[in-house]
Amino acid sequence: MKRREFLKTSIAASAAILSTTTLSAGETRQPIDNRKVSDMAFPQKRPLITYSDRPPLLESPRSTFARGITQNDEFFVRWHLPDIPTHIDTDSYTIKIDGLVEQDLEISLKELKNDFEQVEVTAVLQCGGNSRSAFTPIPGGIQWGSGAMGCAKWKGVRLSDLLNRAGLKKDAHWIGFNGLEKAAYYKTPNFVRELELTELDDHVIVAYQMNGEDLPYLNGFPLRLVLPGYYSDSWVKMLSNITVTDKYKSLFFMDMAYRVPDNKCECETPEHHFKPTKPITNMNVKSVIGYPENGMKVYHNSHVVVRGVAFDDGHGIREVLVSVDGGKTWDKAELKQENGRYAYTEFRYAYKPADYGKVTFMTKAVNRLGDEQPFAKDIGWNHGGYKYNGIDEVTVEVV
Amino acid sequence: MKKLLLIAILSVSSLFAQVKGDVEVPYISYQIKMGKGFDAVQANCLMCHSFGYIINQGPQSRDFWAKKIEKMVTHFKAPITKEDAGIVTDYLFKHYGNGKLK
Repeated sequence: MKRREFLKTSIAASAAILSTTTLSAGETRQPIDNRKVSDMAFPQKRPLITYSDRPPLLESPRSTFARGITQNDEFFVRWHLPDIPTHIDTDSYTIKIDGLVEQDLEISLKELKNDFEQVEVTAVLQCGGNSRSAFTPIPGGIQWGSGAMGCAKWKGVRLSDLLNRAGLKKDAHWIGFNGLEKAAYYKTPNFVRELELTELDDHVIVAYQMNGEDLPYLNGFPLRLVLPGYYSDSWVKMLSNITVTDKYKSLFFMDMAYRVPDNKCECETPEHHFKPTKPITNMNVKSVIGYPENGMKVYHNSHVVVRGVAFDDGHGIREVLVSVDGGKTWDKAELKQENGRYAYTEFRYAYKPADYGKVTFMTKAVNRLGDEQPFAKDIGWNHGGYKYNGIDEVTVEVV
Repeated sequence: MKKLLLIAILSVSSLFAQVKGDVEVPYISYQIKMGKGFDAVQANCLMCHSFGYIINQGPQSRDFWAKKIEKMVTHFKAPITKEDAGIVTDYLFKHYGNGKLK
């Protein structure tokens, strides 16, 4: 490769290096939305916004959110540890269930697909740090825009069916999940997630398919945990072990990372971090515009259809409101809800631009509990940059 | 103008690759700034993650970078010596800092 081409590739391959603008403490604004997709694709993926190759960290562009189901090749990717198996022998792959069970099990992929009831759930998968770039001062972690989320139809078997097959002992209380991603150092803790038995319901599945195809490698092939309504740090990928215990075992990723202040606003100041904290579990109500995109030009008096998606943790979306006057007045968008309460609700809003110049679309989702998205500026800051759900904004120019 | 180092050659063959047998995750040559202490960064950080993981954290305080390294040592058990921790902190703050100590 010629040096110039090489240089071009490497510039495009790295995500935008952030500017050094500093804002006053503890503010929240719109997440960064001008990152370009890379010109390089990862296996089974189209080119996406690429933050890291090892571990792979890929973000979907805004256009992804014009559709209710995210295609496998544009679905975001987030791993924690560098060593991800690059070959899986599907004939010998098993998932092990042990600990406080009547009978230890090793279930092969074939048995999983044949010996249990096959179920499907459509659910949103979202990183807890999605939209982290909205927070200032900048919390540690990847500075995601809004694209660390997606919605897919997940097919697999109920976790409860697997546990029933093994038989839980009387003292069983916690279930630990581990996948095949490994650290570079032997002593680094595994990316293990634990769930309390009471958190289980029939929607929690061990999935092998996503949108009718095998899971993509980078989304956890051949098996991953699916926990509808929960942030994705709980959805363990390349799931290989399930261990039932009576006591909670201290875990880095649950006890240190992925936590927010345990107060009503789940917020704190950069100077004084709030203690105690709690793990991020259930997702809050959120909407993101997929079309139009920031900076687009639309014609005066034309027919613009604003499209996007909204979701929460499974209570369901009651309405999505759109404002074109900076949030003074709101109009209802039309909703399409065909994939259940854990899925994206698609919204559409027809608008005829009557004035030339800039117009900003804002969208606000409200769920069935009446929870609604706050304005970005009203969201409290937290040091992990988690759970951002500000009202989304897109500004276009009417020409 | 700040010097940039481009690391290794990326494998273009994996463009639009589909999975047949083994998966090959492409190597990306993230641009990282050259300067004093870079050798220590390369020796201590690259074992676990790419430079993309560093440059996409956003500009941060000296305290932030020091705590990140401490986290790598305490929680992720990375064998980083005290001396290297200081060198890496200096490097990161100089090139990926926000000018603030805390």
